[in-house]
Amino acid sequence: MKSDLKNEEKLLKELVSNYNVKGRIQRERRIWINTDKEKLISICKFVKEKGFDHLSAISVTDWLKEGEYEITYHLWSYKRKILLTIKIRVSRKNPSAPSVSAIWDRNAQIHEREMHEMFGVEFKGNDDLAPLFLENWQNSPPFRKDFDWREYVKKECYNKDNEREIVYHE
Amino acid sequence: MNNQVMLESTGKNEYELFFGPAHPGSGNFSVKLEVDGEIVTSARANPGYLHRGFEKLMEYRLPIQNAVLSDRICILEPLNWNLIHAEAVDELMGIDVPERAKYIRVIMAELSRIQSHIIWFGVFSIGTGFDTGFKMAFGYRDYILDLFEMITGGRVYPTGYICPGGVRRDLPKDASEKILKVLDKIDEMVKLEEIENPVLQARARGIGVLKLEDAMRLGATGPLLRASGMKVDVRKEEPYEVYDRLDFEVPVRKEGDAYARYMIGIEEIKQSMKIIKQALREIPQGEYINPQFKKPKLNVKMPKGEVYVRNEGGRGEAAIYMVSDGNTKPYRVKIRGPSFLHMISVLEFLLKGVQIADVPAIYWSMNICPADLDR
Amino acid sequence: MKKESPKKKKMKKIIKAIWIFNWFNSCGFCELVPVVGSRWDMERFGMIVVGSPRHADVLFIAGYQTLKSIKVAQRIYEQMPEPKVVLALGSCTITGGMYWDSYNTIKRLDDYLPVTMYIPGCPPRPEAVFEACSKIFQHVKEME
Repeated sequence: MKSDLKNEEKLLKELVSNYNVKGRIQRERRIWINTDKEKLISICKFVKEKGFDHLSAISVTDWLKEGEYEITYHLWSYKRKILLTIKIRVSRKNPSAPSVSAIWDRNAQIHEREMHEMFGVEFKGNDDLAPLFLENWQNSPPFRKDFDWREYVKKECYNKDNEREIVYHE
Repeated sequence: MNNQVMLESTGKNEYELFFGPAHPGSGNFSVKLEVDGEIVTSARANPGYLHRGFEKLMEYRLPIQNAVLSDRICILEPLNWNLIHAEAVDELMGIDVPERAKYIRVIMAELSRIQSHIIWFGVFSIGTGFDTGFKMAFGYRDYILDLFEMITGGRVYPTGYICPGGVRRDLPKDASEKILKVLDKIDEMVKLEEIENPVLQARARGIGVLKLEDAMRLGATGPLLRASGMKVDVRKEEPYEVYDRLDFEVPVRKEGDAYARYMIGIEEIKQSMKIIKQALREIPQGEYINPQFKKPKLNVKMPKGEVYVRNEGGRGEAAIYMVSDGNTKPYRVKIRGPSFLHMISVLEFLLKGVQIADVPAIYWSMNICPADLDR
Repeated sequence: MKKESPKKKKMKKIIKAIWIFNWFNSCGFCELVPVVGSRWDMERFGMIVVGSPRHADVLFIAGYQTLKSIKVAQRIYEQMPEPKVVLALGSCTITGGMYWDSYNTIKRLDDYLPVTMYIPGCPPRPEAVFEACSKIFQHVKEME
């Protein structure tokens, strides 16, 4: 019994006509849109009034070759049963983005705190960006693509002179 | 003398109390409380004792290796996380899963949910001082662990049983009768738990009340929303596997206190047993894995794309976001655990203004798993 | 008959019933709590779990350790009175195990605490825990 994607198309048309975003419908219940950093807050306020009151996750993808971070916001609406994903791109040097914690409250604030610790993104407007999981960590933010874990672990923990650990150095 | 003068002039009598990781009632998670006499004035969560960095460990391994790693994301319900990882890879690569495999996946996930709720009762009973409940719960849980060992090979970690494409091995011939016998034993346990115990009632009624608007604002999902009056369940909103063909109900309560959450847990065990019995009757014959994936291939490239998969875990809404750029290994995996928001925002909100003696009861009534939070 | 050293005399008197303080991380919680429970009952061997490190003889370190949690384990070890024994449970604690390439886990517990006995497995069965505890008694008998 295939559903007819009418709800998804209607919502996408409204967003494109009001904000000129680029979007696509992946399958039923999944809409993905790309937009700019400047329009983010106004789009978020618009969709919150349309019923998207649950922020499921905020995530950052590190595209090393293009020199950009892609920040994704995944929103779910209990009434319409649709998942909307908003994607923005920021530069990799001194990355910063506006914070959505004024719209989705503590939920957004804690996700942003984790992304700040793991990728180094500054969220302007979020007043609590203290470290969450790590204590006294002085190296680069751990989840960036240029911080290779296997090299770091070989240098710090495994000993070349111990014959049982030679295999880790090959 | 000087101290006395200082206290009188400021009027505050607060000191810091660490409800820490080595406390027998706290699990591997610590909360820093500021206490004034017997009343807690503020709380701050301090996670990170179990952080391994799963999301990046998965970028160094193939999907078939990640299937074994995914049991360990939350160690109290390993098969549910196995299932969600396999669904994400199936959707990304466009794999068709045969019907029999879907029914087997549902049976194993529901057994894992029952086992996780039994642990919930055990530790909630310690938190409220009802020690018999603890011994009973862990005694009955061992029947289910024996079933897991018979079907998958491991008592606690099922060695990546639910893998992309289906399941690794077929059910043994006498599995159906053994599962039904174990469900009869669990039925006995549920009848004992439903007796209204006065110790539990006095310690759990009216404590840790969470209203619906606060729950939505703080990002609570799963049993916390159901205990506050909202009827939501991912298995009914967007059914995955064969849940749209099975008949079950979603329990709801209105009070929002610790006792309501406990009673919802008991109801969910009963509904899970109903699902397993239906699935065992309706399961068809056929393949247990997509024939192309019977022997694991090491050089299959994943097509470019991204997916976001949601599931109903024992603790709330669990989700995985997976991105691939055309190689054999995933490019980015983001894991959303249900306990992440419960332990930081909901706990800090609920612990304001309660007595120290009630802190373990509220903490354990939310059914939190520290491994899910730290990943 | 050989003369017994004073340490052995002391240990023989004290280690008749073992009091354990457990420091569980993930695997430990799933496999050691059933050991306390009614099926694999460990109280029949004289072992009980105590709530404070000052009453304990044996420190059970179960499950992988991270940089944050090893500091807590060292502080607990320092608070225990002599004589004391440390048991390491699980392959992730002993050699790094499945998380060998993670930046935040400990690869070798020997560098941080003096370990007496290693119990490998992922996770080890409850019967392995009982065998380890019976070997502690053997260790004391054969000590000089």
